[in-house]
Amino acid sequence: MQQGGTEFRISGQAGSEGIAIGLAYVLNQSNRSVAPKKIKALQVRSHIKRFQKAKALFLEEIEELSKNLDKATREIFEAQKHIVSDVEIDDKVIRLIEKERFSVDFAVFETFGEFIERLRESGSEIFQQRIVDLENLRNRLIDLSCENGKQKKIPKKSILVVKDISPTDLVNFYEMGISALVMDKGGITSHASIIAQSLDIPCVVSAKNAVQHTSTGNHVIVDGNTGSVIVNPKTETSEQFKKRSRELTKQKKAILHGNEESITTDGFVFHLRANVEFTQELDLVKKNKAEGVGLLRTEALLYGGFEKRAEEAQIEFYSKILKETKGPVTVRLFDVGGDKLNIHNQDEDNPFLGWRGIRMLLDEREILETQLRSILKISGKYKGRVLILVPMITDVQEILEVKKVLNAVKNDLKVQQIAFDEHIRLGIMVEVPSVALLASQFAKEIDFFSIGTNDLTQYTLAVDRGNARICSLYQHTHPAVWQLIHQTVYAARNNKIPVAVCGELAGDIIGASVLVGMGMSELSMATHSIPKIKHHLSNNSQESFRQLAQKVLNSSSAEQVKAEFKALFSQ
Amino acid sequence: MIKKTVTIKNSTGLHARPSAALVKLAGSFKSDFYIHMYGYRVNGKSILGVMTLAAEQGAELLFEVSGPDEEEAMEAIVDLVDNNFGMSDE
Repeated sequence: MQQGGTEFRISGQAGSEGIAIGLAYVLNQSNRSVAPKKIKALQVRSHIKRFQKAKALFLEEIEELSKNLDKATREIFEAQKHIVSDVEIDDKVIRLIEKERFSVDFAVFETFGEFIERLRESGSEIFQQRIVDLENLRNRLIDLSCENGKQKKIPKKSILVVKDISPTDLVNFYEMGISALVMDKGGITSHASIIAQSLDIPCVVSAKNAVQHTSTGNHVIVDGNTGSVIVNPKTETSEQFKKRSRELTKQKKAILHGNEESITTDGFVFHLRANVEFTQELDLVKKNKAEGVGLLRTEALLYGGFEKRAEEAQIEFYSKILKETKGPVTVRLFDVGGDKLNIHNQDEDNPFLGWRGIRMLLDEREILETQLRSILKISGKYKGRVLILVPMITDVQEILEVKKVLNAVKNDLKVQQIAFDEHIRLGIMVEVPSVALLASQFAKEIDFFSIGTNDLTQYTLAVDRGNARICSLYQHTHPAVWQLIHQTVYAARNNKIPVAVCGELAGDIIGASVLVGMGMSELSMATHSIPKIKHHLSNNSQESFRQLAQKVLNSSSAEQVKAEFKALFSQ
Repeated sequence: MIKKTVTIKNSTGLHARPSAALVKLAGSFKSDFYIHMYGYRVNGKSILGVMTLAAEQGAELLFEVSGPDEEEAMEAIVDLVDNNFGMSDE
């Protein structure tokens, strides 16, 4: 390979994993300044029009770009959309053009400048990061209003080296085929890092003066795992990284493309399902090969206002989820209250111990009945795939009530001759210690348990994880939590009903190991955790997990649980 | 016109997403909504105005709402802030 210059290394921070080897493309967008230009009265209208057109084009661009992206990236674009549509921006730009007769580019520059200045003055570290975003947004709007909005074309497989970059530009360049990103500025939580991760390209951020030290055409290696950039690599260095890169790709493929089966080395079959809240997550559910949806959160239907709570809207939502997934879909009834949303806006001193979950639903019968009817109706089309999960049960009486309502709704549907799954399974969340303690009583009334480990931990250890001062006490691998889980599993087994887990514990390597060790085979987790959990579970034996579970039940602290895990599983 | 002081509790402060949620809610009411902080007064229906307050965790803001639905608007807005902008960690 032809090499020019001597090898040197720029160190930065790891923004997104992976290794890329290729030619640099340096994009040095100097800080823009726009000189004040006055226009004639006759031009006012055309300049205002140009601004409005630029705005519309920008919104279109964003709409187009955010189509296939994950939630984190879409939210970034969503915020940009709000900013561009801001009333203050409109007012100011138009005033500057109309009253002061400034040209559109200066009007935009000046308007954003005021807000950027304010952020700069604030001196707040986290808000300083947003300056970059506003500057990028401003530049894009200026370009679009001056009709030089066309993107630069850059060669495929290039490694893009920039000072900083807007989310829109990054996605655009990705579509042109860049293979990695190196950025002078930004941190590991910057927009560029988040987007690079979701686009799955290596990225190094905070690479000091990378733009100065590299030129377009330089050979470059980007190591997104360690956060370093090697310019003009020696042949040996290149070979070394090529080998690393091949290994990484192989590993990743094995994990992602499910070469691994959901079975432990000694033949215990398990099922990894996804926790889902929005239909936009379905692509990831497919990509990560989730076997169905173990927890479908439905609260988003409530935030959307009354129209979205209506039966038709609910059915549309469930039907989309069922259509685009395989395997069971466990629909959790509205779990609102606590930190989320109070329908009557009542102040509660202790919302987590207040009117939420099934307590609210049993008072608000209409909401409960509408939801049950929607779920039953869709179950007719997908027989055997739909399960109903009741949140925040603390007392056996409550589940008896729910069954009464469910039967009434079923009878109505029968009278109306509307099809539904007669054998639809009804289960409850185990998220309050009282349910775990009385599990054998509950088990007689229901078809399955689903353990919600986040709330179970919170209620067992009396820790609000949102409280910064004590959140270190929130330990979902605490032995007390394990005792309750164990008790639930025991009761379930005696009553021959299944028990699943749908909290973050299932997506934690230690947690998943112990759960499988206790004999649980259905784990539902955040979609992105599935590959790593699958990799771990399928490369070890259930026997080793069983040994771990036994040790865990004899432990007295979360630290000890960790230590036991390390002793058994770190090679 | 009604006024009320609130404290920002969530760890990221009035960052992009919380700002967006606040502005969206405020925009659904007829009443005018202004926020005062450290001598600044910004339009609470403008995301740029709200964001550039750079209100971090612990910041005290004075909300000023005036218009036909001011009571209702203030209650909803204060509720949103108290509930950490509807964002849960789960």
